[in-house]
Amino acid sequence: MIALYLPGRSILHRAPAGVKLLALLALALLISLWPHTGVTIALAGLVVVALYAFALLPPVVLLRQLWLAKWIVVLMVVTQLVFLTPWDALVNTVRVVSIVLLAALLTLTTRSEELLAALETGMRPLARLGADPRRIGLTLSLAISMLPVVAGIAERVRDAQRARGVRLGFRIVVPVLVLALRHADDVADALSARGAD
Amino acid sequence: MTDAPRRFDTRDIARIAVFAAIIAALGLIGPIPVGPVPITAQTLGVILAGMVLGAWRGAAAVAVFLALVAVGLPLLSGGHGGAGVFVGVTAGYLFGWIPGAFVTGLIAHSGRGRLSWWRVALGGVVGGILVVYALGIPVASLVAKLPLDAVMIGNLAFIPGDLAKIAIATALTMTLWKAYPPVFGARRERALAARTAPAAADATDASAR
Repeated sequence: MIALYLPGRSILHRAPAGVKLLALLALALLISLWPHTGVTIALAGLVVVALYAFALLPPVVLLRQLWLAKWIVVLMVVTQLVFLTPWDALVNTVRVVSIVLLAALLTLTTRSEELLAALETGMRPLARLGADPRRIGLTLSLAISMLPVVAGIAERVRDAQRARGVRLGFRIVVPVLVLALRHADDVADALSARGAD
Repeated sequence: MTDAPRRFDTRDIARIAVFAAIIAALGLIGPIPVGPVPITAQTLGVILAGMVLGAWRGAAAVAVFLALVAVGLPLLSGGHGGAGVFVGVTAGYLFGWIPGAFVTGLIAHSGRGRLSWWRVALGGVVGGILVVYALGIPVASLVAKLPLDAVMIGNLAFIPGDLAKIAIATALTMTLWKAYPPVFGARRERALAARTAPAAADATDASAR
């Protein structure tokens, strides 16, 4: 499975996913709610860079994340300059980008499976409200297994239509939907036959 | 007619999962530049989930898709993903997709008997545009510390694309009502049972497969 995770052996990689998730929430709240001065916003930026170094990720990773955030930067700077002072625009942009980079760090240092497991644990209190964390976990892992299936169906239908010279448009979606939903019903039958109800 | 389920059965779970995957697959198309604004097919999938699966299952499919994005799969249009997108400027729109799909399904599946195209389209407009923007605009304004009306004006650029997507999603849903009736579940069966004996309903079901 292609995920955004980058393997590593740093302390950040080895920390439990739940702890990292809570730490991210706390830091993100702190950075977004703090009434920033020049010093504190610089500090926030420095903390983020330091955490990337702490995760032993090569500097190019941080640069790539910054590049991915380029549209946020452009959007923020342009719109803010219209309504606010250049200084406020700078502070707000650094604030938002550093939180986005922090969240990206969680994704880069944590396997998807571990985050899924942490989510399942976090949902345990919901059981009292009638939700079943195990069924939610089943739905999530089913969805992951269906990603390549649906992509494969789309590819097959596209090839078939191209071979017949059909002009591609949104019409192509109908057979993809029908085949994908039929696959889902087959999977449901297989699950029921094995007593997953 | 929401058919609020006490719990989802296996068939519901499989359909929720496959629709999450369909929303992801639609992210592979585009972005198609129409004028200055790039249009992604991903929101088409969100609207479609509500229209086809109905309020509860549609919202669940969107929630599953967002959970997969949150744990680090690059499923958002353009290969984005990870926890970062849920704290950025556009986070409100992403969260808005869940109630958006719910309201779309609620309106689209209201009434009895056959699905009517105008209810489906109305559901798309209210759920896919009004509800999503009702969450997206305030959050964008809060995160970016911009005045509300400025964000609102910026949003107008997306309305034509959204309307086009709703038109496409409505056409797809009405086609699917004929092409794969089982997915509409109890409602479609009731529409049939109103006219035919159970045996005939079975036969229709079998021929549709």
